[in-house]
Amino acid sequence: MPDLGRLALAIALMLAIYSIGANVFGARRARPEFVASARHAIWAMCAMVTIAVVALWTGLLSSDFSLEYVASYSSTTLPTAYKFTALWGGQQGSLLLWTWLLTIFTSAAAFQNRRRNPALAPYAMAVLAGVAIFFLGMLNFVTRPFDLMAVIPAQGTDLNPLLQNYWMAIHPPSLYTGYVSATVPFAFGAAALITGKLDDGWIRSTRRWAIFSWFFLTLGNLFGARWAYEVLGWGGYWAWDPVENAAFMPWLVMTAYLHSVMIQERKDMLKVWNLALVGLAFGLTLFGTFITRSGVISSVHSFTQSGLGPYFLSFLITVAVAYTGLLIFRAKELRSPAEFESYLSREAAFLFNNLILIGIAFAVFWGTIFPVLSEAVRGVKITVGPPFFNRVAGPLALGLIFLMGVGPLIAWRRTTASNLVKSFAAPAIVGVTTGVVALAAGLRAWYVLTAFSLAAFVLGTIAVEFRRGVGARRHMLAEPAPTALVNLIAKNNRRYGGYIIHVGVIVAFVGIIGSSFFKTEVKKSVRVGQSFSIGAYQLRYLGLSEHDTSHMETATARLEVSRGGREVAELAPAKLFYKREQQPATRVAIRSTPVADLYVVLAGLDDDGNQATFEVFLTPLVFWLWAGGLLMAIGTVVVMWPNVRERAAIAAAVARAAPSALEGEPAPGGE
Amino acid sequence: MRFRLRFVIGTALIVGAIVYLITTAIRNTSEYYLTVDEVGARQSELAGEPLRVAGRVRPGSIAWDPNTLTLKFAIVPIPDPNAGGAVKPVAATDPVAYAVTCAGEPKPDMFADGRDVIVEGKLDSSGHIIATQVLTSCPSKYKPAQAK
Repeated sequence: MPDLGRLALAIALMLAIYSIGANVFGARRARPEFVASARHAIWAMCAMVTIAVVALWTGLLSSDFSLEYVASYSSTTLPTAYKFTALWGGQQGSLLLWTWLLTIFTSAAAFQNRRRNPALAPYAMAVLAGVAIFFLGMLNFVTRPFDLMAVIPAQGTDLNPLLQNYWMAIHPPSLYTGYVSATVPFAFGAAALITGKLDDGWIRSTRRWAIFSWFFLTLGNLFGARWAYEVLGWGGYWAWDPVENAAFMPWLVMTAYLHSVMIQERKDMLKVWNLALVGLAFGLTLFGTFITRSGVISSVHSFTQSGLGPYFLSFLITVAVAYTGLLIFRAKELRSPAEFESYLSREAAFLFNNLILIGIAFAVFWGTIFPVLSEAVRGVKITVGPPFFNRVAGPLALGLIFLMGVGPLIAWRRTTASNLVKSFAAPAIVGVTTGVVALAAGLRAWYVLTAFSLAAFVLGTIAVEFRRGVGARRHMLAEPAPTALVNLIAKNNRRYGGYIIHVGVIVAFVGIIGSSFFKTEVKKSVRVGQSFSIGAYQLRYLGLSEHDTSHMETATARLEVSRGGREVAELAPAKLFYKREQQPATRVAIRSTPVADLYVVLAGLDDDGNQATFEVFLTPLVFWLWAGGLLMAIGTVVVMWPNVRERAAIAAAVARAAPSALEGEPAPGGE
Repeated sequence: MRFRLRFVIGTALIVGAIVYLITTAIRNTSEYYLTVDEVGARQSELAGEPLRVAGRVRPGSIAWDPNTLTLKFAIVPIPDPNAGGAVKPVAATDPVAYAVTCAGEPKPDMFADGRDVIVEGKLDSSGHIIATQVLTSCPSKYKPAQAK
């Protein structure tokens, strides 16, 4: 099997090289048979990488310790599910997964464009194959997944215990899917620059890819946060660690991109900006891998540091220089005839939303690389921690939330005063009322008051939109309200799916505010039978039970949780001890309610187990962070749902030979 | 054309606000990130400053009281990996570089003799590090054999 995997990767590399040549030659000389052959090469490349992945999985599942990778990241006692996920437990496997996803997405894009985009697609495929060459080159020559052990050990080192977890099983594939699928819009953007077909055809062809990428970046970030929350036992979910930032920055840029392309589709503006954003998003995915693998920036994440950094940096610089060069080369053709006409227009709101999103991304970038910069300039490493990111991102987030309320309701081009009053009077009242109620309830922090008011304002604007749409259908088509609501969303899925995502963002934002500002913590050492309290909860330590398997030892503390004298739950936080690694780990116990999470960590035990020390967090509203994330996911699915009208629009855009002029003037608030 | 100018001004204001936020936040929240050796070289100017120190736990120096959640240990410089072998053990006889006390936090799971840690806190006048947090980084056994 290892030989097969190695061979498959070598063939895949050759196929990638061939497909670049055949694509470019076929497109330049108008020889469709070469483009078709290149497409088949891409599918064959995907099949080869699939064989390599199956080979590595076979090695992991059969505990073939002659493979260095299997010996390093698996063991015979590792539960089968984690032998499966060990594929991305180490560096070589992670890169193999990355490459696999890349070839799958390239194949899908090749299939999608087999009959359309004859001018653009061959170059986009060539760019995608070029990216694949880099990764396949790494797998063939630099960090090989099928290297053999000199001496075959009887037992493997095992997967890092922190990775032996459900969320860790799904977090990396989600994030990688998001990262890698961002390559497709980038490739089409690059193809537009290469060919000079600079109308919005490349955007329309890859709109669904961009949303797909955004969807998985969102999930990847949320799963990572959830993993940190459930596994690391520090009571939080986000620490602004460089590795988290590396996943967050592409998300911010993709969010900006998804909004700004609407201006180009509508107004034929911001062409350079959009092309720059897809380039930036792709560059940041490489940058993220560079900083996590190079060790240039220290992170608490237990990633293997290796000699991979320089390769990624070289590739990143090559891509950045080539892409910027193309942008400059096409600068004249990218000038837009249209201009911004008024601050009170949707395009202005979108533009400012873009500035803020990119501003946050830049601040995160700056804070992440600051130690490196300060060492280079001043000779001493200076770091900025979570306070820096919170101080910058906090106020900017408020601006973003405000624009989220304004943007969708004001008209393109310009809005009249009476229109403003009509749209925003009710939401503004809702927002102000929320602020006043919060103030009366005893909240004093200006940030929290502003955040809650703005959140209510945005929810108000979205409610106004839904009400307007449902009302119109009821009035014109005499549909009952529930039917009207369903049809409204189904017929305008892109717009109303977007609103559902916005609601999700607001709900998640409220969860973040609640958990950041109102978290309380108690540390207590108690003997069996003793109680202590946090908030309205009483916790009584009932005793310890121990459990022993060949894989790990578990010491579980039982706690009775009561509230107002009534027992509401029994929690069982535990200390684990992984035998293979000789390493302890923590299993957190959480009682989650919409009001607050009770989060219990077994922090310490004395030798006989009669006395235990607990660290307990009471985190208000954190439930809503995950609920908001779920809503964002649902909204994105609605947005991605195939829509007949949009298919027609894509076909029209593709069919248009000349660059598109302004589209018909849409109604205010039109899709 | 006049409106275009106004738009440029509006954009400049937003960009300016972002730059202002970043610069003030950097000034107010930055802390030194030093190795144990660097702390030694700059000890006099560091007293009372917030800092992060990267070092290795000296084997045999750990004292952990689970009832008060007090962790005491000594950190020593991390040997230069380029000077031979990525995983060079730290001997118990290495000179103590800095004593660390961290109270009120659970002991991190990965914390053990010879592990690399990042200590966040302050240096007191007697050269002790009073830590608010101890972070463990990747245990050496998960590092690859050697990058070629």
